[in-house]
Amino acid sequence: MEYIDYYKILDINKNASADDIKKAYRKQARKNHPDLNPGNEEANKKFQQINEANEVLSDPEKRKKYDKYGKDWQHAEQFEAQQQQQRQYQSQGNSGNGYSSYSGGFGGDDFSDFFSSMFGGGGRSSRQSPFKGQDYNAELQLNLLDAYTTHKQTLTVNGKQVRITIPAGVENGQKIKLSGYGAAGANGGPPGDLYLTFKIKDDARYKRKGNDIYVQEDVNLYTALLGGEKIVETPTGKVKLKIAPETQPDTTLRLKGKGFPVYKKENQFGDLYIKWQVKLPTNLNAEQKELFEKLSKL
Amino acid sequence: MKNNLISIEDICVFHKIEIGFVQSLEEYGLIQTTIIKKTVFLDYDELTKLEHYIRLHRELEINLEGLHAIAHLLNQVQNMQQEITFLKNEINYYKHFNLH
Repeated sequence: MEYIDYYKILDINKNASADDIKKAYRKQARKNHPDLNPGNEEANKKFQQINEANEVLSDPEKRKKYDKYGKDWQHAEQFEAQQQQQRQYQSQGNSGNGYSSYSGGFGGDDFSDFFSSMFGGGGRSSRQSPFKGQDYNAELQLNLLDAYTTHKQTLTVNGKQVRITIPAGVENGQKIKLSGYGAAGANGGPPGDLYLTFKIKDDARYKRKGNDIYVQEDVNLYTALLGGEKIVETPTGKVKLKIAPETQPDTTLRLKGKGFPVYKKENQFGDLYIKWQVKLPTNLNAEQKELFEKLSKL
Repeated sequence: MKNNLISIEDICVFHKIEIGFVQSLEEYGLIQTTIIKKTVFLDYDELTKLEHYIRLHRELEINLEGLHAIAHLLNQVQNMQQEITFLKNEINYYKHFNLH
């Protein structure tokens, strides 16, 4: 547990007036408020520190105690004094000087251990207003082909089992909101939300670009030259494709509507592109070499 | 449909806000309300937005003009983040196929 310099957090000096503290708090809060920094964990953490610093420094009694014992808070003698003061604080009740906390993210547990050891659980202002619970952020890893179909998955969120439907066509990095799956609200407020970010793993065979899928498929020299057929695996099953005579290497074939499903648009799909990779024969035997030589002289 | 609506009056009592604040947010186009039999309702989806504006207004003392500007800028940030995600996915595609 480390000593926390609340003055440094608010970027003020030790002689700062109550007005200076208020101004500094507002300045820092405007920069780091979670509503202005969605998804920014660092800003969220900083905002908690700013609130904690403000909670202490804006209350003359707490500030006095912090100034007196803050740096040497680990000394036993001072602990004793703190506890005595703590009882006094608890009997005093609310400081009544704090701002309401953001979206319920400030339960007692969100204050640092340092704060708790200095002021105890009852040392902070009690907030009676109803607040929405804290929002949670989580990541969910999917294989590319998992994202191809709408399916259900069971997640464990904060110890609770949540069964969610993942719509076909979700993209890597896409974030969805699951209302009410965040932390419980305070004082009768509604629960927070769960923001789920999808991380889609690369697939060895299929490459996705938007709603289109790209595949590289080998074709031997003879089929490329003379034409033929090839059975190709697609996300929806096998398809038989015709290969035109004299197909050049890297020729790309488009299968319309055989690509990825478009997110939340029923029966709409991207395209599937198949690029023919012409493979030259290796380890030619004497007869093959002779035939190729003949061919080259024609 | 009605199950997804909550009356503005209830919200104002719950959050201890003036009804005029909600009306002003609507005038600025920041939230959308629904009127059924002379009672004004808010959709649950809009409630999150309203609470977001209440917090910014109360905690940072941002006025309606400021909220309007913030909403616009946050929308731009969100669009840019989506574009970054899209571009990252594109880069990933080219990396794997070694295409230029």
